[in-house]
Amino acid sequence: MNTRMISLAALALLTMAGCASVQIPADQLERSEASIRGAEETGAEGVPAAKLHLQLAKDQTESAKKMAANGNDRAVLVLARAESDGELALVLAREVAVHSSALQATEDLKAVHARGTP
Amino acid sequence: MKTRDKSLIVTITLAGAFAGSMGACASTAPEQLVEARNAYAVSSGGLAAKLTPTELYDAKNALDRADKEFADHGDTYECRDYAYIAERKVELADAKARTEADRAVIAEAVKAGVVVRDAQVKSSQAALARTREQLKDERQDNTTTTNALRATNNAQGQELDKTAAQLAAEKQARETAEASLAGAMKDLAAVAAVKEDARGMIITLSGSVLFVSNKYALLNTAMTKLDQVAEALKAQGSDKRMVVEGHTDSQGSDKINQPLSLNRATAVRDYLVSRGVPSEKISAVGMGSSKPIADNLTPENRANNRRVEIIIGSSTLSAR
Repeated sequence: MNTRMISLAALALLTMAGCASVQIPADQLERSEASIRGAEETGAEGVPAAKLHLQLAKDQTESAKKMAANGNDRAVLVLARAESDGELALVLAREVAVHSSALQATEDLKAVHARGTP
Repeated sequence: MKTRDKSLIVTITLAGAFAGSMGACASTAPEQLVEARNAYAVSSGGLAAKLTPTELYDAKNALDRADKEFADHGDTYECRDYAYIAERKVELADAKARTEADRAVIAEAVKAGVVVRDAQVKSSQAALARTREQLKDERQDNTTTTNALRATNNAQGQELDKTAAQLAAEKQARETAEASLAGAMKDLAAVAAVKEDARGMIITLSGSVLFVSNKYALLNTAMTKLDQVAEALKAQGSDKRMVVEGHTDSQGSDKINQPLSLNRATAVRDYLVSRGVPSEKISAVGMGSSKPIADNLTPENRANNRRVEIIIGSSTLSAR
């Protein structure tokens, strides 16, 4: 009887613990969402690799929110994953733009040389 | 039953704990962790190590946490999440490194472009300066040439003026000479017969007005006529040769007539020389009766044959 009582109490505690929501750090959520916005503004939607990570960041941010609401501790790590994907999407989008500029600068330099070196 | 239940619970718990413990120690690393380790290994030997060490350091921290989690608890979601994050951070470090490299290319291109453009500008400025100098020199040369041309032009103009004046003077002189000749010829026509034939201009003077019969001394009236003839001859110009021919009629012998005709021609020639006709231009010949202009049958014809002819322009001069 004592054993049953202990088991029930433990189950109740576990149930209560499972139903309690998890508080994810506000600044972490903010960083994750900021990275998503930054990636979008940089044109990640137009860069296939960046677009993939942008979508992963969005999906994982939503998952983290749901996990947090359901009291799942993993929410914090999933949000960290989302943040890393968002940052990567932004950097990949920026890389394409800078690379394009580098190619243009190289072509411009060739054109300057072609106009005649004194 | 209670004992059995308790024993079962304990058994299951221990089995679970053992299984968990065995899982942590014996399971191989999850795929995410392996990929994260490989990605980091590659990246740490590449461009990111040089250009984005801070980002690579963040990736290493995430990877260390994944490794620690795996070492402590095995293949847990924490381990996988940290591995996932580590791999993303490695990719981010690589992407940033590539971006930095591209930025370096841009900076180098801009710098090189500025250098080339500066050189081009300097070259253009130098070329411009040379062109300006050349233009300046050419302008100077043009001024010099223009001045020289002006001087030449002035000199030529003066020469032309001089030539024109000379021509005008010559024309005036020629007109004067022609007028003088015309006047002289008009006067001459009053005292002698004048005609043109193949020998040139022929001035014929009747012997009867010049000489006494069988004599060669000039009459006074002859001198007056010869004065006009002399003026006409001088008006002909100094370039013409003149011959004075003496002719007689056929009365008498050639022995008489020949020297008489020569003496008469000489008398006329000498008088003309005394009146200013150049002596080197005029000669005298005696033709006797060899060239009559009419038969000698009548006194009138014989008078016509007794004559002195002055031929102007003759090329068949005979010595005196």
